[in-house]
Amino acid sequence: MGGRSGSGAEVDAGAIWVGQRLKRREDPELLTGKGRFIGDLTRPGMVHAAFLRSPHAHAKILSIDARPALEIPRVVGVLTSHDLPPNLGAQPVTHVFTDRNTPNYALARDRVRYVGEPVAVVAAESPYIAEDALDRIRVEWEPLPAVSDVEAALRPGAARLYDDWPDNVAGTFRAEMGDVDGALAQADVVVTERFRIQRQFACPLEPRGVLAEWDPHRGELVLWSSSQILHIARDCLAEVLKIPEHRIRVLVPRVGGAFGCKFHFYAEEVAVALLARTVGRPVRWLEDRLESFVATVHAREQVVHATMAARRDGTITAVTAQIDGDMGAHLHTVSYGPVWLTSVMITNVYQIPNARVHTRAVVTNKTPLGSYRGWGQPQANFVVERLVDRVAHELQQDPAEIRRRNFIPPERFPYKSLHHTFDSGRYAACLDLGLERLDYRGWRARQAQARREGRYIGIGFSFYVENTALGPSRMLNAGGVKQGGYDIARVRMEPGGEVTVYTGLCEMGQGFTNGMAQMCAQTLGVHPDHVTIVTGDTQSCPYTGYGTGASRSAAVGGAAVMKSSQRLREKISAIAAHMLEASADDLVMAAGHIQVKGAPTRAITMADVGRAGYLRPIELPPGMDPGLEVIEVFDPPQMAWPYGVNIAVVEVDAQTGEVKFLDYVVAHDSGTVLNPMIVDGQIHGGVAQGIGAALLEDLPYDENGQPLARTFMDYLIPTAADLPRFRLGHTVTPSPIIPGGMKGVGEAGIIGPPAAIVNAVEDALRPFGVKFTETPITPERILAAVDGAGIGAVSSQRR
Amino acid sequence: MKPAPFEYHAPATLGEALRLLSEAGDDGKLLAGGQSLVPLLNMRVLRPSALIDLNGVPELRVVKTSDGNGLSLGAMVRQRTLERDPLIRERVPLLSEAAALIGHMQIRTRGTLGGSLVHADPAAELPAAVTALSARLTVRGPSGVRTLSSEEFFIGPLTTALAPGEVLVDVLFPPLPPGTGWAFVELTRRHGDFAIVGAAALAHLDGAGRVDFASMALCGTGGTPYASPWLGDVLHGERPRAELIQEVGRRLSESVEPDGDIHASAGYRRKVAGVIGTRALALALDRAQGPHRAEVA
Repeated sequence: MGGRSGSGAEVDAGAIWVGQRLKRREDPELLTGKGRFIGDLTRPGMVHAAFLRSPHAHAKILSIDARPALEIPRVVGVLTSHDLPPNLGAQPVTHVFTDRNTPNYALARDRVRYVGEPVAVVAAESPYIAEDALDRIRVEWEPLPAVSDVEAALRPGAARLYDDWPDNVAGTFRAEMGDVDGALAQADVVVTERFRIQRQFACPLEPRGVLAEWDPHRGELVLWSSSQILHIARDCLAEVLKIPEHRIRVLVPRVGGAFGCKFHFYAEEVAVALLARTVGRPVRWLEDRLESFVATVHAREQVVHATMAARRDGTITAVTAQIDGDMGAHLHTVSYGPVWLTSVMITNVYQIPNARVHTRAVVTNKTPLGSYRGWGQPQANFVVERLVDRVAHELQQDPAEIRRRNFIPPERFPYKSLHHTFDSGRYAACLDLGLERLDYRGWRARQAQARREGRYIGIGFSFYVENTALGPSRMLNAGGVKQGGYDIARVRMEPGGEVTVYTGLCEMGQGFTNGMAQMCAQTLGVHPDHVTIVTGDTQSCPYTGYGTGASRSAAVGGAAVMKSSQRLREKISAIAAHMLEASADDLVMAAGHIQVKGAPTRAITMADVGRAGYLRPIELPPGMDPGLEVIEVFDPPQMAWPYGVNIAVVEVDAQTGEVKFLDYVVAHDSGTVLNPMIVDGQIHGGVAQGIGAALLEDLPYDENGQPLARTFMDYLIPTAADLPRFRLGHTVTPSPIIPGGMKGVGEAGIIGPPAAIVNAVEDALRPFGVKFTETPITPERILAAVDGAGIGAVSSQRR
Repeated sequence: MKPAPFEYHAPATLGEALRLLSEAGDDGKLLAGGQSLVPLLNMRVLRPSALIDLNGVPELRVVKTSDGNGLSLGAMVRQRTLERDPLIRERVPLLSEAAALIGHMQIRTRGTLGGSLVHADPAAELPAAVTALSARLTVRGPSGVRTLSSEEFFIGPLTTALAPGEVLVDVLFPPLPPGTGWAFVELTRRHGDFAIVGAAALAHLDGAGRVDFASMALCGTGGTPYASPWLGDVLHGERPRAELIQEVGRRLSESVEPDGDIHASAGYRRKVAGVIGTRALALALDRAQGPHRAEVA
């Protein structure tokens, strides 16, 4: 290190890496196409898998004959449910919220419950041949009536998915605080609405993929997976296959996006492992785009009946919601966690003393619902922020000011909400920053001018808060989660003075490893380039409590790295003090050097310490053990809550229903920022996906349970050409409960856009008095609302 | 998403391509830019026994003038060339404007004029553009050469008048009177998508500022491009006025017979057909050069 960092000069003790806008280390590799993803991996003798999937939404499998598939040359094996081991476990659910089970296995046994459910799997010398062979598998189906809509599934007499249940309700949840009925009775204004939030999915650039290889002599499985849940995937494999965890190694290579859908443990991971064991060769399966639309968990879909009550002065006094989540056919890995989260976020950032939610998780004949960036938070935000706008409109109040009036004030933190405790926040300061960035008054003036010209400009707000740093472990366990909320980091200084950090969190493009390197570098006084972060291997990386989700990596993972680095620093300091014959308190550690304060010539390098630590224990203080390696655990005392405001300015074409962005501002606060460039990127990407939710993305099904969107011709994701230029503003309110003060930011961007955009469109079309209660708001829905209002319906409601 | 097995042929001449196509019979498919065919192969929606790749046939890539100021474009001319070639931009700017709206640059770099016309997607831009431009489509097959108008060529959604063994060879664009205004306007869910409704319009004004030529075709409003055959009756001899253009919009909405799909219902398409047609016509009139500039609200 000395060679690279220079030596002899006074080191800059103030070298601060946390908060620097450093470029991501992985980008040259990724941007030049050199990243090695599952699709780039190969093993000697590897063969390729293809799945036969149910074409029916609901059917019995009367018989299945896969033998003809084996007649095709270079097909090496095929599995159906008949070939599954008798002791094979059902697909695990890690979040146990209900007694009702939806048992499902690697391959469907006697009944399928959604289009896309895996029924058989073929291994062949090429993926082309594997697909050819699928045509030969003969299945005799007995179609059953299907339910494809949550409201239809709740009707008496609806077809049932599980014969031993009396209905299609997998679970219910209730929560209440305060005196809701009293508040409703005394309110000056009460607004009630039915909202429908569409089905979407995470749809990462890289679909899923699995490569399985067995060591037949030791009976050990190595499984590469494009996954967010390294150790959890291993433990699930162990549970299902009945193999001890230490005989399974899960490896996660480069991941081309995940956004929550790879937080799940899928049937394909088990089926591919079993197929590899059967054929005695490594087997790789790459989910293709076509199957990804039905085989990867979907997300979001809910119908919500909600009510908000307020006093004449704009004080919100109560909110209630009946939330019906469309779970699809099975409870997948996280059960109805996202729907639960919608429920408990129903008061958002407001001091609403009275709240009541009743939630039902309903099964339908559709792809199972699961995780997608934001979990249940975008739905809750949409409902609350739409209702707040309705109340503002009823009371003729400014939408920004009514929000300000109801914010939880800074002095009330920690604030106990319906379920969670919010750690900190200065919401009004963040709103002010957003309004200033936007030039709110200027836009209101331009809006008025445009209306005089017959153009429709609108401004829409949405304030969000995000659940991050998920923990603590005991609370998760108590709530039914079969895993912890802690994270473990191993930090090791190598003999050359450089540093290796091992984490069980998975890098899937979010870039948190850069932030960890900056955190570690700052703590140890080395350059971030001299810190390597190792991820993606259950054999070398420490256990992660929860996996890479819930915006935990920077806050919980980062705090674990910080704790380990601090303890390692203490040992380095003690060694250096001994070598320099100085007091540890008098040392300066920076840029890879350790100096005695005020005496630049009395210095050693980290490499000197590294050598002493491993090769020359003779130089260590008496009694000190060799080695420079520390493991620390961080279990957050509670969660950290970043927040912010989305402000959208749109122009609506009242003749076609098209929406054009004129401006888009996000002001946000995610506590201490490790790398602002990465935080900006997280907001940009999340807002882009949120815009997709507001305007474009939808996974509709017909009444027979057939999916209608199965390609990118049907499922419209916004591209760069469809996005506004986001303008960001930051405030920094460090979390008081996380060492380092970081809050997560992974899901912040995606929560607010639907409400902000729909509010903006409604604001633009105020002269027509229209309202929107379903997303996405397509040009057709907008035009239908305008036409329904009638051109003459210009009301007295004009602001 | 791997195609079923097929034979692949890469002929170097049109004659060889025709021979291979005829040998393949009903199961043969021509490969042009592949932007629609290859996804259909990968989804196994189409399972041809043979693919005859036209990318190595130079005579299908020719751009040449014809009829003085007209233009003849080979079927394998890339959409990116339609968008950027100076001669094409000068002679048939409507075609360049339409091509620029197809997909994204990567798609236009592979996609071809002929491929889009033969695929005959009802929402595609180029079929509407060639219809508005009164182009003539030259087709060669076992029984010789025929020339078709676009109304003869497009017979239904994804269906053309091409007989088995026939190849679209080139497209002839007749010359437009100097000063003709043009416009291609479309409504899409996203930039680069197939049109929900698109409109190609041409207009020319006489020395007195009256319309003496107008043409319009819509895409996304039915199985084939809608050619608005009554347009001349409404506009000829008239000075462009807002009421007249609104009248065209009303007639368009009444005349088209769209189908609904996942992106828009038939009713919505019918409604916006008038709006988009009106906007295209207004822009074409605005661009029409002459002693009297059109004054359209």
